[in-house]
Parts: sequence; C-alpha cells; structure tokens
Amino acid sequence: MNKSSDFKSYKKEIMGAAHDDRLRLALSRAVKSFRSNVKNALEKFPHTVALADEVLKIKEKAIPEMEKLTRQAIASIEENHGKGYIAGTAEEALDIISSLVGTKKLIVKGKSMTGEEIGLREHLEAKGNEVYETDLGEFIIQKMGSRPMHILSPSIHVPREDVARLFSKIMGQEIAPDADIADMVAAAREYLRDKFFRADIGISGANVVAAETGTLFIIENEGNIRLSTSAPPVHIALVGMEKLVPTLSDAYKVSEVTWRYANYTVPAYVSLISGPSKTGDIEKVTTYGAHGPREFHVIFLDGGRTRLAKYPRLRQTLYCLRCGACLYECPVFAVTAGHFGDKYFTGIGAVWAAIVNKDLEKAASLAYTCLTCGRCRQRCPVKIDVPEMIIELRKLLAEGEKA
Amino acid sequence: MGSELVPPGLTYLADNIITRQNILGVTKEQGARWARKLKLPRQAETIFFAGCGYQYSAQLEVLMSLVRGIDKSVIGSELPMRFARFQKKLGLNLPGIYSNILSRGGETEVKPLEAAVKVLRNLGIQPGYLAEDEPCCGAPLHHAGLQTKFAENARQAYRTLKSSGVKRVIGIVPYCTHALWKLFPLYVDSYDLEVRHFLEIVAEKISSFKLRFPRKVRVTYHDPCQLVRFMSLIEEPRRILRAIEGIELVETDWTKGEWATCCGGGGGFETVFPELSQVLAVNRVSELLETRPDIIVTHCPGCIMQLKDGLRQLKVDGVEVLDLSQVVATAMES
Repeated sequence: MNKSSDFKSYKKEIMGAAHDDRLRLALSRAVKSFRSNVKNALEKFPHTVALADEVLKIKEKAIPEMEKLTRQAIASIEENHGKGYIAGTAEEALDIISSLVGTKKLIVKGKSMTGEEIGLREHLEAKGNEVYETDLGEFIIQKMGSRPMHILSPSIHVPREDVARLFSKIMGQEIAPDADIADMVAAAREYLRDKFFRADIGISGANVVAAETGTLFIIENEGNIRLSTSAPPVHIALVGMEKLVPTLSDAYKVSEVTWRYANYTVPAYVSLISGPSKTGDIEKVTTYGAHGPREFHVIFLDGGRTRLAKYPRLRQTLYCLRCGACLYECPVFAVTAGHFGDKYFTGIGAVWAAIVNKDLEKAASLAYTCLTCGRCRQRCPVKIDVPEMIIELRKLLAEGEKA
Repeated sequence: MGSELVPPGLTYLADNIITRQNILGVTKEQGARWARKLKLPRQAETIFFAGCGYQYSAQLEVLMSLVRGIDKSVIGSELPMRFARFQKKLGLNLPGIYSNILSRGGETEVKPLEAAVKVLRNLGIQPGYLAEDEPCCGAPLHHAGLQTKFAENARQAYRTLKSSGVKRVIGIVPYCTHALWKLFPLYVDSYDLEVRHFLEIVAEKISSFKLRFPRKVRVTYHDPCQLVRFMSLIEEPRRILRAIEGIELVETDWTKGEWATCCGGGGGFETVFPELSQVLAVNRVSELLETRPDIIVTHCPGCIMQLKDGLRQLKVDGVEVLDLSQVVATAMES
C-alpha cells in the first residue's frame, strides 16, 4: 500500500474497536436479539423468502434503468405538484438542498444513510441552520459527535449506561445509569417534541420509490418520520437513484422484504408520500398546504450510482435494500461495528468506497478486511454475493481497470 | 490503480507461490516428507492433492505466532512482512528457520494427510501423489486479487498435472480443492480434470464400514467456509461423524452448517490482520465451547491452526482439535 500510514491508522482504529469491551457488549446484545427476531419474523411470514426472490428480479431490472425511472418519477412528482431534481454529484445535491433551505432555519431530520453519504447535516449546520436528528439512534450519534455504526441502528455500539450519561448532560435533567430505557426514550420525546412543530423544514430519505406515481415509501417505527414529513411546511427528501422501482406494487414488495429482513414482522409505520398536502374542500378549489407540507421536493442522487451500475459484478451493490441483516452475520463487524466501513459498511462499503467515492486507499483497507467467508450472502434477501464482489474489487485494485 | 494497494502479507504469500510453488517459499522436499513412509506411487491417474496448508502447517504456525507477536507491538506486521520479501531477495531465507522447526518434530502436524491416505486405502482407493512435483493451486493469488498471476499459475499447474498423466484429483485442503474444482475451469481452456473432495468420497462409502471411536466423546464440528458455503459440503461431514460409534455429535444452535462462523483465518486474512484474526478465532472457539465438546473436529488446516490458537488464548485444557480425517482413520482402526 503506497499510503501505508493510512492503512496503519485504519488498522489501529479497528483494533481499538476490537478491544473495546463496551462496544463488544453492545454488539453481542444486538446480534443475539436480532437473530431471534429475524427468525421469528421469517417463521411467521414464510412467504417472505419467495418474495425476496421476486424483489431480486425487480432490482435486476430496475438498476440498469435507473435514469429512465428517475425521469419518470420526477414527471409523476411534478404532476402531483411536488418538485423533482436530479443531482449528478453529492455537491450538486447539497447545492440544491441548501438553496431550498437557505439559512437560519430550524430543521427536523429523519434518519437517512444517503444524507450521511453526502454529509447533509453538517453542510446545513455550516450554512447557519439548526438541525435536529429525530431518529433516537441518530439523535444519540449527533449529540455524541460520533458517526453511525450500523445502517438501521446507528447507535448500536452505545450501551444504555452511556446514553443515560449523555442525556443527563444535554437535557439538564439527571438520568441514572441504571434508569429504564423507557425513561430515556421519554426524555428524548420531550426534548424533541416542540422542534417538530416549530421546524421550518422536515428532511427525510426513502426506502423505495415507485416511479409510476412518484411515491416515496418510508419505513419506520418511532413515528419521528411521520412528524418530520408532515408537521413542517416544507418536506425535502433525498433519495439515491438505486431506490427506484417501476410500480407501486414493486415498491410494496421491496418494502415488505426490507422490513422483514430488518427483523420486523411489521413496522409500526409505513408512510407513502407522493406530493404536497392539499385540500379541495372549499368550493372544489385545490389548495396546497392543508395540515401537511405546502412544498414537497425530492432530490434524486446519482453520485456515482450510474457508473457503478455499469460494472457487471459490482452492480449488485445497488440491489442492497439496506435492511442491515448482513451486518449481524459478519464476524468482523461483530467486533468492530461500523469501523469496518466508510459511508456504508463491510464488503458493500468497500465497493462503495472504490467506485462511488473513488477513495482507493480506503477501499483497499476495507476490501482486504473482508474475510470472504460468505455468511452475509447466506442472509441477504437479494443474495448479494459479497465474496465474489470483493475478489473482483481486489482485482481492480491490484491490477487496475482494463480498458 | 497499482498493486501497491495489495497488503504486504498477501504479496509475501504471492511471491512465494510464484517463485517456489508454495505459500511459504520453502523447498518442496520439506512439504513432501510426510508421505515417505506411505510409498505412494508418483504416477497414477487418480492423485491425492496434499496442498500447502497441511504440508507446511508446522511452519505456518511458527510464522503466525511470530507475526501475531509483532502485530500486537507498536511495529505492526506490515513492515516485517515487507522485510520478509526483501530478506528473500537478499538470499537470506526465512525458510531456514522453518527447516529447523521440522527437525524438532514438526512432522507430527501432518498427521491429517497420513490419516486421509489411510482412509482412502481402506475405502479401496489407491491414489498417487506427486510429492515435490505437486503444483501449487495458487488460491491466495486469487484471493489477493492477482487474477492474471492466478490464471498463469493455473494453466501451468494444469500442464504439470496433465503431463504426469493425472485424470482425477482428490483434494483435501478446502482452498486448493475449491481452486482446482471451481476456479481453474474459469481460466484453463478445455479443463478436463475430475476434482472431488475427500469428504464426498468418504461420505459415499462410509455406510459399509463399522466404525468405532476408541472412547465415548462429545464432538462438535466446525464447518470451514470454503467447504460449507462454496462447495456445499454440509451433510457429508455430519453423516460421517454420526456413523461413528462412540461419537456424540453436539452442535451449536445457530452457528452451524451454512451459518457457521468463520474462524478468522483463510484467504490470507490472517497475514494482513494477524491480531484481529486471533480475536475472531477466540470468538469462534467460544461459540463452539458452548456445546461442551471433548473434541472440536474440523476439516481445514487453516481452521485447525486458528481453533487451536483460540483454545490456547482462552487457556482451555482438555479440549482437542482434530481433523476429520484423523477421526475417521482412528475409528477405522479400532
């Protein structure tokens, strides 16, 4: 490695994590409960396995057509009186969003990996806005000044005692280290309550988007996304182009498989959002901005995705539903959490770092951290062959790209 | 993109394969010693492919304990791994150290190979063995991403096997067998060697034998990744173990078969992350110990090394790690 110092510091980081007993404790608790939950969810709804095969076919067809589907989705959203945008790069996405937001605004935000990918929160804060992460895990991460360590459970590496200490500090009320988790959740609810209603703008991601109607499907359990996307007068959504599928029925299938493999029999909420809030109740005159947002903006991010789609093997990365199940199967992740990762984690994160972020040093560090043991592939609903991709990626790193 | 992105641990193995046809850069004679007493024919249509992992396991163990020590120190393992390469270029061979180990009884470690040949003979198969002429499968080249070198090596290895009159290969090391079976056909035109894994052959013929282990034991089985997830050899080892009287097969709830946890070795990972690899070995051993076994059986030289190290780290006494071939050979004798 020509920058062997980079590799050395990366190795130091993951070894530090591997020797961190608190991290180990938090992860082992999480892995155990995840496994029993996902087993239960799949036993209760055994059709999910066949549905996952169908979802793989949907993704295989949709990924090469991402650009076409994006244009179709934007047309649909505009028909619904929303506004759609294509951002070629992360910078373009940040520009579009900050021109919509401006400065000195209060923003409530749902969890979004795509937002993490482009550094959205930091960017908006730098522009003089006040941004609140409203997902509990993400909120903890934000307040700790840390970064997410799992795609669904960003604070998976933080044991409850640490949460109590953090909340006591920021909320001005003492929470005992042995307090009930319910008390911690209640404290966060109270702290964030008025932010939703005072916010100028709500920001979310989406799990999947139906191009035919421009409908965003957003899966959640806390209700923070419902509030973030309906209480403020403006809703801005940032979505990776790989999330597009042709039809509503496709999008539903993707959603069900996503939450089931994310260890839920059924989530508390699935929001389907297609446009701004409206009413025609007074003299049949359609007026926008009833109880929900008056404005609805969706930014579709390419950011290297169309380039990644051209690699026959590595393209599988874009099939990822971000259910996070694979992470619980990775023996390395079990001791390092998201330290074995970059924007995204483990083997998939390696491909992302190489092709999307073009950070070859980082990609090499991650690619050679993968054991290629294949247990993630065993769990993946869309059978992403991580070992195969990793060996292909190593080939690109070692031998260069053939013209 | 340049090959400087490949970690030094892997380029070390790669250089050895290219220059000496084995992962450690040792003489091939050292590797072939285990078979001298067995008088296996050098020329045969069906050969037993012994591979690096078992043949050089004593040397590998020493190398790994050396590298792990350095990796835990402030130096880290990168420089010494690079240094090992320079050493070789300067004509100062690490292999010297290895041959000393051998003279100190390192040969005991190759028991799984001897056992495997005895088992095959009991099953009525008389395989040949190419000894010093056995080519290296080059699997670590593939795993390092050095596909062009892997392809060259595969073609050369194929020519060597063909010119020795080989038609069928019985493999035992998971990585080698996988390479010869699944990867060579991707790179060698009209590849026509029939490759089978030792396990398949034993599982097929085992039912006609009366097998008894000399004492009553609780046995847990650790599935090597390559066997279970890349060659689908899931039922075979279990069928074999269940056929042996005196063995009670006890398995973990969740981490068995295709859900087995990797031992933390393999693909060269242990040379890149020696210390992390040890942490993973300890984790895997802890999972297996939940079944309260007397013996942990597995079927891969890398896994054996890792699991033994895991037990050592946990300071567990009274639990043995054995290769499946040793268990079967013992059960055939008694």
